[in-house]
Amino acid sequence: MMDHTSDPNAARYVIDPERTELALEFRNCIRGPHSEELRKLMHRMRWGAFPGRYLLVMLEPGRRWALAQMPQERGQKVKVFHDVLFDSLEDAEWHVFKLRWKALTGAELNLD
Amino acid sequence: MTTMSATIETNAFVGYPDTLSVRAGERIRFHLGSEQQSQVDVKFVRVRCADADATGPGIKYEELTSPIDGMHDVSFHEVPCGSSMLVPVDARLAPADAFSFGCYIWPTRLLDAPQTVLARWCDDSGKGYALQVARDGVTLRAGSGHAGEPFEVKTGVSLLERRWYWIQGGLDSTTGEMVVQQCRLAEGVMPERRHEVRATAPSAWQLDSGGPFTVAAHHVSLSTLRTTAHYDGKVEAPRIAEGLMSIEALRRFDDLARPGLADAALIACWDFSEGIDGLEVTDRSANRLHGTLNQLPCRGMTGVHWTGDVHDWRLAPREYGAIHFHSDDIYDCGWPATLTLDVPANWRSGVHALRLRPTSAEAAARAETFITFFVTPAAGAPRAPLVVLAATMTYMAYANSALRLHAVHFEVLTERLLMLTGDDIYLQEHPEVGQSTYDHHVDGSGRAYSSWLRPVLNMRPRSQPGNLAIDTHFIDWLEEKGIEYDLVTDVELDRQGAGALAGYRVLATLSHPEYYSEAMMNGIMAYQNAGGRHLALGANGFYWRCAFHPKAPAAVEVRRGMAGTRTWESQPGEVHLAGTGEPGALWRHSGFAPQKLIGVGFAAMVYDHAGYYMLTPGSADPRVAFAVEGIRADERIGDFGVRIGGAVGIEIDRWDVGLGSPPHAVMLATSHGLGPGALPTPEEYRTTVHGLDGEQNALVRADVVFFETAKGGAVFSTGSISYVLSLSHNGYDNNVSCLTENVLRRFLDPMPFEVPA
Repeated sequence: MMDHTSDPNAARYVIDPERTELALEFRNCIRGPHSEELRKLMHRMRWGAFPGRYLLVMLEPGRRWALAQMPQERGQKVKVFHDVLFDSLEDAEWHVFKLRWKALTGAELNLD
Repeated sequence: MTTMSATIETNAFVGYPDTLSVRAGERIRFHLGSEQQSQVDVKFVRVRCADADATGPGIKYEELTSPIDGMHDVSFHEVPCGSSMLVPVDARLAPADAFSFGCYIWPTRLLDAPQTVLARWCDDSGKGYALQVARDGVTLRAGSGHAGEPFEVKTGVSLLERRWYWIQGGLDSTTGEMVVQQCRLAEGVMPERRHEVRATAPSAWQLDSGGPFTVAAHHVSLSTLRTTAHYDGKVEAPRIAEGLMSIEALRRFDDLARPGLADAALIACWDFSEGIDGLEVTDRSANRLHGTLNQLPCRGMTGVHWTGDVHDWRLAPREYGAIHFHSDDIYDCGWPATLTLDVPANWRSGVHALRLRPTSAEAAARAETFITFFVTPAAGAPRAPLVVLAATMTYMAYANSALRLHAVHFEVLTERLLMLTGDDIYLQEHPEVGQSTYDHHVDGSGRAYSSWLRPVLNMRPRSQPGNLAIDTHFIDWLEEKGIEYDLVTDVELDRQGAGALAGYRVLATLSHPEYYSEAMMNGIMAYQNAGGRHLALGANGFYWRCAFHPKAPAAVEVRRGMAGTRTWESQPGEVHLAGTGEPGALWRHSGFAPQKLIGVGFAAMVYDHAGYYMLTPGSADPRVAFAVEGIRADERIGDFGVRIGGAVGIEIDRWDVGLGSPPHAVMLATSHGLGPGALPTPEEYRTTVHGLDGEQNALVRADVVFFETAKGGAVFSTGSISYVLSLSHNGYDNNVSCLTENVLRRFLDPMPFEVPA
């Protein structure tokens, strides 16, 4: 029974790897408000089924986090990247943004 | 980047109390388990703040002394999830001659591995008979007397999920003939399809398992009656009759027997349309081989005879002859009681927790489990003027929410990376403990039940900061201000109605009292109309009409009607609660919108950034002068707050006379600063148009409302979940704290309020 908020394939925006100015906008203002085009891009990145989703594990609530990734099915272990740690949520958002950029466009994001 | 250090392991021990709330002076038991430890160090605490967030007050509690403090043995226990029906052992269910058995099914999760629909089967002995389903069709199984070596005959024709079938098996002990049949019923453009396969058993079979007859599972062993091969889907009208029967002959028992026409060939026919509000199953054959349901499968489900003309099972129970079983239903873990506490009569009421630590000091520094329970005032004890109502029905509805693990939309909703606690990780790795009424069963259907007789991971100190953790910010504020209070819970309000609040001058409801039974709604209304003062500190409260199941009272039952903010939707015709028959929809759609009770009701969700309040011209009304004293007209109220950053956030409520807000209510403040991520709840708009968001839509707002009630009472509502998260800002010295204290102090004053003429 799919509806628009439970269908993992409902987000259909296609990310243009040439539009690196959107990545720059995100890096400069993680929390927004964002331009309309960046909102669409973020919606595409954040939407989807849970298998393989990047997220954070709280090490100290409100203070420190580790990168983690959901497994394929319920009951399986969450993969925690013990060597990818953050003490800023903005840093974490930017890190995952780059991972998703590569996954969705096939290209490394290089702004420098 | 930083370095990783040891974090606290919160599930080295797991467990649950037998009752969520207990009067001081009365008894509570705790059922504990541990995969890692054989001993546990026990201590009780009274919780002041359960929110671990480093930007807030942090976890605060007072250690208590009890007679059972110290070391106790603890062992591992499985969570026996999966619902089933069981009929006690009866020789008539192992006929010596030929017999047939079958039922209607609507499977919802077909796998390669077989799931047992009907059985009198024991794995250990390899005896009995069973009818099973899998992706590749229906299997009839007969016992050989050797474990793992059954005689089987299969239809070999794939089944489809969420389609009605009639399935049937027949066994003739005189000839060894086995017959399995599957019949997909005609539906829409799909015609009926029948398949039948016959075989002869190679040697004598052993059909008497010696155990109970089961539906939706079979027994692994008879010594512990542990079940396995749980089936996901609906079952309707299982039956067993003498003789090898055609499909028509066995289905003929669908017809209600006319007086005097009891058929001697019918051994049993279980009618799930009788007693839908209970856990017993009626056999309407002459043998009366009644059954019982385990682990709370879903009743009141549309059956194969549902016409669509009726949506309330009470009006046409024959159309609701199906039960939906789930392999991950869980009502009661059934673990033995590990600890029994006679709560000292002098313990103050409040949020309490059992604290469990490993016995070695070194391990105790790394592992700590809390199990929350609530202590209510001792019988006959003097009452404080203020009573805080802990929203335990809502806590149960959210118990073990896995939205941040599995929901497609959750990161978009929150507009930030999802963050897991150790409890979330445990829940992902241990789905058998069961998720919340926001989640889906493993077969994709919505979870209608949530019980406290299982480990609940998100209602305790150090858990994901929602519900209870947010609510304790008000408890923390009361303690800081030295304001005396008692605490009762939704369970008392549901069981005792208005009597649970009798004798209290002021009632405080907390950040998100969303789930309400009829007795609870009417209890609060009666309290207000009797002169009680109600400080409503949250939002999206009094929203879902639901109930504790009368026959499974540790479980809340929720049906998600066809409107409202919801993560699943009831199947057509399945909105009414099985336990009470009430429509499990919004109170708004039962003519009792929250505005009628507290002046405001759910308007919108706010997940991008929080807002704040400003006073309105209404704040100049002398009737609310007591509330706004010390707050300037140009002052932002609550432009700060733990985690959320503002007092107007998460979910917000608005005033609306059309929905029942009292016309004499004063709206003394309203929200500002909301953005495009503030979006209205679906029942607030009739059609999708541009401009629904908080930047453009004046109805996306939080209103602060005051009104007087009969007999000197009054109501003050703040209209935002994140309101209480602002109380501790700046050492508790801020305008949200000031507004709250102004109102609470006046409400505690016995001088009556008067409804304006």
